[in-house]
Amino acid sequence: MILNCLGFAQNSKAACTPSIHRRLSRVWLAGAVAVGLQVLTGSFASAQETLKFGVADPLTGPAAIFGLDQMQAVRWAVEDINAKGGVNGRKLEAIIADHQTKPEVGIAVVNKFINVDKVPVFITAFSNVVKAVAPIANREKVLMLSVGANSPEIKNLGEYVYTMFPLADIDMKALGGYMVKVKGKKRAAVLFVNHETGIEGAKVFAQSFKDAGGEVVINESYEETRSDFTGLVLKVRSANPDMVHIHSNVSDFTAIVAQMRQLGLTTQVTSFQTAFNPKMIQEIGAGAEGIIVTAMAPSVDDNPNVAGYLYRWQKAFKREPIGLPYTQYFYDAPYVVAALYKWVLDRKLPITGENMRKALLDIKTFDLPLTTRIKFNDDHTVDSLTYFWEVKNGKFQVIGKQ
Amino acid sequence: MMQYFYIIAIFAGINVILASGFNLILGYGGLVSVAHPIFYAIGAYVSALVAQKLGVPIVFSIMLGALVAAATSVFVSLPSLRVSGDYLVIASMGFQLGLLHIINNIELTGAAGGLTNIPSMIDEPYRNVIFLVVVWGLVLGSLWLIRLLVSGPYGLAITAMRNDEDAFVALGRNAIRIKVTLFALGSGLAGLAGGIYAHFFLYLTPEQFGIFSSAALLTMVVVGGAATIAGPVLGAVLLTALPEAIRFIDLPIAIMAPMQGVMFTLLIVLFLFLRPQGLLGGREGGLDAWSGTAETDSASDEEGAR
Amino acid sequence: MDLSWGLVGQLAWTGLATSTFYYLFAVAFALVLKVNRVWNFGQAGVMVVAYFAMYTALQLWSAPPLVAIVFGMTATIAVSLALEWFGFRVLRGRKSSVLTYFIFTIAISQFAIYLGELTFGADPKTLYPSIMSPVILVGPIAISHWDLRALAVTISLALALAAFLRFTKDGQFLSAVADNPELAEIYGIGLGRTYAISIVIAAILVAAGMYLVGTRLPMYPATPLNQFLVLAVVATILAGIGNVFAAGTAAIILGLIQTFSILVISSTWQILIVYALIFVTILLFPSGVVLKRSSRKIVRAGASASGAAAPIASPPAAKEGN
Repeated sequence: MILNCLGFAQNSKAACTPSIHRRLSRVWLAGAVAVGLQVLTGSFASAQETLKFGVADPLTGPAAIFGLDQMQAVRWAVEDINAKGGVNGRKLEAIIADHQTKPEVGIAVVNKFINVDKVPVFITAFSNVVKAVAPIANREKVLMLSVGANSPEIKNLGEYVYTMFPLADIDMKALGGYMVKVKGKKRAAVLFVNHETGIEGAKVFAQSFKDAGGEVVINESYEETRSDFTGLVLKVRSANPDMVHIHSNVSDFTAIVAQMRQLGLTTQVTSFQTAFNPKMIQEIGAGAEGIIVTAMAPSVDDNPNVAGYLYRWQKAFKREPIGLPYTQYFYDAPYVVAALYKWVLDRKLPITGENMRKALLDIKTFDLPLTTRIKFNDDHTVDSLTYFWEVKNGKFQVIGKQ
Repeated sequence: MMQYFYIIAIFAGINVILASGFNLILGYGGLVSVAHPIFYAIGAYVSALVAQKLGVPIVFSIMLGALVAAATSVFVSLPSLRVSGDYLVIASMGFQLGLLHIINNIELTGAAGGLTNIPSMIDEPYRNVIFLVVVWGLVLGSLWLIRLLVSGPYGLAITAMRNDEDAFVALGRNAIRIKVTLFALGSGLAGLAGGIYAHFFLYLTPEQFGIFSSAALLTMVVVGGAATIAGPVLGAVLLTALPEAIRFIDLPIAIMAPMQGVMFTLLIVLFLFLRPQGLLGGREGGLDAWSGTAETDSASDEEGAR
Repeated sequence: MDLSWGLVGQLAWTGLATSTFYYLFAVAFALVLKVNRVWNFGQAGVMVVAYFAMYTALQLWSAPPLVAIVFGMTATIAVSLALEWFGFRVLRGRKSSVLTYFIFTIAISQFAIYLGELTFGADPKTLYPSIMSPVILVGPIAISHWDLRALAVTISLALALAAFLRFTKDGQFLSAVADNPELAEIYGIGLGRTYAISIVIAAILVAAGMYLVGTRLPMYPATPLNQFLVLAVVATILAGIGNVFAAGTAAIILGLIQTFSILVISSTWQILIVYALIFVTILLFPSGVVLKRSSRKIVRAGASASGAAAPIASPPAAKEGN
């Protein structure tokens, strides 16, 4: 009968109705998953002793180039914290999951964090995922820290959503003023990738450039998956700007600048942290000289720990991390989590998202290894200095800060 | 822990409705279309926007979403089917990509940032359970509807058309009308699924409805068994539950996503060759239920007609 | 925008140069459709294989460019032949529906893309560490070495293919089989061999095209499916099934339309043109825009070369919707 129902016999239709099919399938499935869970995650019992938090980042997909290095930073931080005794003698544990920069995967992953791993706090990045999982965090009262997404909308995503990373209205505001007042630019072309970060970031930059007295001669978006920018570059050329700000992802920045240089456009190029990418310099070569990017994490001069951090990367992987400033924040995030846990444990309160949030609001200011100090504002954001970096002789160098 | 399963089950239910609708088009109707996700999207966005901006009660907005999806599908299927079945594939793909591109760029739908603040259908503490019951109730309703459709006299007409379209047409029956109807019904179901999705997960972006989604639906129908009632159900449940189950295995995280993709596409290919009727296809189901029609000769007809 | 000759000239030149690989992809697609009678959406997968084979040779084995290209071509040809022998031939034998072919080819492409992401990572890559090439200025127009190379490669391949189709026995067999496989078989033309030759030619064109792509733009494993294939398919429809070189020309025209549209519309909406064209084409020009005479000429030449009488015209297609 069962075999009939599963279609392995000739007269499957005769002996079975669709509802039996369905019930059987579901039962089998539920059983399989349940058994699988027991068998494969034998660490269930011991996991309750560690202090867990979730981390969802893209580990596959186009943004993985950042995500992988960011996760490495998180792992090192957790190792370092545990090596010094953890939190009140208990070890910190990061549950890392890949959200592929896809909202529905982000939802599934956070669902597991909350309902299976039972974490009171989780960290995530990338605006589209942040927005997708925010309702869940608010509904389930689990604290959510956004690290790296910088859409200004994040302020309004709910009670349980905080960003540890400064939003676009800080560095883009600073850049606009800097380019006019310090670099003397008057005509800017603004190009941005057609997604949340691109749109919002470019908006802030354009406004700030205008406020400082400059003129925005072109303001155009392009699709994320686009690779040929000839038309766009030519349009820029004919508008004759003295600088081009590109609010981009990774490969699009490289393609635009390369095509600009190929068509004889030597104009000053600026961007933000996603362009902080040594590989890009290699691909563009001499055309990368003079590119200015903003960063919102302290440089080596302002924070001695950064030198040791960079050395660690050289020793382990023989290179600099991709998106250095982002990784600095990701390294510090477990330290924030550890501080929150300590506050809750010290007061012998139950470990819940609600209490973690209370801890955040109470502590407010955190002294951290790589970002020096972070203070959470009432509007759920943090502030930061903006650092300006320029490509000189094939390497990024700090040229100013504000 | 149960909450986790409820949410997975809700997802699975939505996928069953989607896959069943797709099966109606692909398996029963024999129509080569991959644009099913766009009608999912239309249902979702219409329902979300109408509820959000006009304050329409969610039950009605979801129904409206389904209707709009069905109506739009006619706009795609009718002109292409009049020309050739082959062209439906291209036309539907173009429609899908084009509309997604527009959604991605206009303020009304939230542009690239996505649509947030969608009103939720249920807000009480037992939200997940209630939703689960509602969704699976709709699943059963849809399956019953499909069964009614394909086993009655209309179903006989569909089978006749499938077995020999030329004879069918020669006898004076209108094949195009049947195909367009099936396409509309399937798309309407997709719209329904979209509405449910929107008011449960409360966030929409166009990227969820692209080619990857098409491939996933295709897997569900092919592996489960096309042109059967239970096939898409099994396919949908499997394809929703397996990735979750895999999440619990300690694989190196960085390869999990493409590994899943490799496995699923490999599954499609294997099934196509070794078991084209899918897991539950038996003798009458599967994709090759459509073999033997004039489809493969369309290219030569083009040549000869010149 | 100031419309100067310099601007228009540059748009035309660079637009033309970057359409070269679209030309190759469209011709490959159209050829397989014409001869093998398959809408080969698996071509995207073949593109991925071509790209990563060359990538492996160049970046992982540090091979010289010529070796890498030869290796890439060999890999592409091997995969294409496998596709034809183990895939299309089996489906043909079973008289599978268009549906099955479609699902099969799309699945193959997706499989190749995921495999590529699994093995090489999903971040964007280029074939060489640098994608810049030296530029010469001719008046106001910047001409890069890449542009010249791309045009040279494409023109030579196109001429070679045309010569092959017209002057060699195998080439004429291709046209004969395209027109009427049963009849061709009766006259002793080996179908299996012809199908194989057709897909090998497509493989060569694809590999060449991917080399051009990889030396100019960063590429994701999914780019061939999301971007390149769509244009090739539209171009094929526009040109009409059976008109291989016309498909290439259509691809170039589409590329130029896209490039020039920047003058009128914002960059965001440029891609919509391609999608809109799909509808316009299907509604108004389902048999293609290009003149039909050229296809009949090739068919007649092929028929007489293989010693057959002029092909018997099949009865006018009264089949509804198919």
